[in-house]
Amino acid sequence: MSMSHVDDGTLHAYLDGELAPAEAQGVDAHLAQCPACRARVEEERALISRAGELLALATPPEREVPPFRAGDVRPLKRLWWQVRLPLAWAATVILALGIGTYIGSGSRALMERPAAAPQQNLSRDLVAADTPARRVRRESPAEPRVAKRAAREEEDRIAPQRKNKLAAATPAPPPQAAIAMFEVGRSLKRSPIGVDSARTLLGADPFAVPGTPIRAIYQAREIGYSAVVIVEQALDSTTAIEVTNARSTPLALGEVAVTGAAAPVSRADSVGALERAPRARAQVVSSLAAKPSARLMPDETLNRPLRRVGNLEIHISGPLPSDSLQKLLRLVQPVKP
Amino acid sequence: MPQDLAEVYRTTYRALVRFLYRKVWNAERAEDLAQEAFARALIHKPESARGWLFIVAANMARDDARRAARERRHLTLLTAEPQETTSATDEALEVESDRARVRAALEELSPRDREVLLLWDSGLSYEEIAAQTGLARGAIGTTLSRARRRLVQAYEAGKTGEHVARG
Repeated sequence: MSMSHVDDGTLHAYLDGELAPAEAQGVDAHLAQCPACRARVEEERALISRAGELLALATPPEREVPPFRAGDVRPLKRLWWQVRLPLAWAATVILALGIGTYIGSGSRALMERPAAAPQQNLSRDLVAADTPARRVRRESPAEPRVAKRAAREEEDRIAPQRKNKLAAATPAPPPQAAIAMFEVGRSLKRSPIGVDSARTLLGADPFAVPGTPIRAIYQAREIGYSAVVIVEQALDSTTAIEVTNARSTPLALGEVAVTGAAAPVSRADSVGALERAPRARAQVVSSLAAKPSARLMPDETLNRPLRRVGNLEIHISGPLPSDSLQKLLRLVQPVKP
Repeated sequence: MPQDLAEVYRTTYRALVRFLYRKVWNAERAEDLAQEAFARALIHKPESARGWLFIVAANMARDDARRAARERRHLTLLTAEPQETTSATDEALEVESDRARVRAALEELSPRDREVLLLWDSGLSYEEIAAQTGLARGAIGTTLSRARRRLVQAYEAGKTGEHVARG
């Protein structure tokens, strides 16, 4: 070893502390007498730390490690409806057949899915350590992927700030701000639930477009709402809409929304249009503040119409023009037991 | 329950999330998959939990990427919105962030080099990386040196390319 130069692989293993003691001594001996290899050691050391730095840039935001409680953990099956599309379509057909009876007679055709309850518990347990700052979003097919990504990265950047603000927030509920958050926020569908559970969660009948098959009902989460239920309905075999029912909760959301908006406004003008979305969010907040009585208003950032009934906020999203969504929104009716 | 798995969870969870994040590029998805890997470990009670977790995680990330690709195709059919078809590379260039550049640089590595680099960065030893990838232990150093060099080169090249493009 001390005679021949040290190859790159050995050098990296040496610097990584992964050489056997005897080999490492061999490298040491060679370095002691070879200035060229000593210089290379410094180069490789710099390379290793540079690569480490770069990788550190590609790191998800640090979050609290959720508690590990063996009793709670069961294998997740929540992906089954995503993975097994054919099965999901079959279920749709069955639900569609049942739905006529359900709406017509008012009987409870939609029962709890047997798999739903454990999943629900599990996902709740797994996210037990969540802070309110851990925003969740709904993956809506109608939203461009680019926008989603930009929003997500924006969110990653501002999450810590928001967390602090939330912690410090005093309960002074500005309902207009709550609407704005809702418009911009994306809730994540957590688990499929039955209509009875949806009713319990919302404290009211969930709203849906009458005469349209309900494909599934999901529980979801969104900041500022004590309960979010998403009713997925099939308009035809390829088009699905989602009716989101959100029960608002008194929280100082003005703080949250405006905090999120502040950072990018102060940034350089070179930011892309998508990155400026939070600025639009701030504009929504102010425009809503100017007309708090508006009951049906188009969302200025996401093109999602919204309707308020009691303490429920309802909106519809789907791959349709916004005026169609508006019309559907006017049609929604409570799903009666 | 195996006490040592709780310990592995404490010491490895973050690294596993980071490892997964660099494959699925979505923090929540990475967390979900990490949770699922641990849930599976509880059932399978593998001999060497840490290495096992990373193997399972790598498989899940691969399946997840396939599913995502499938869904993208599906969505493209459904909505026909032009943004939906934007390729990953274009997106990465649009979102001017270091993260996107590192991601692009990582994607220029060969799958094997990338895997070894990510595993090392997750805290696995040469021994564990060799066991996981099927490479000889003696080849890990060489693979790592190449992976690191290419990562840095690709990153710098990406940066220069952007400057040139901006004029």
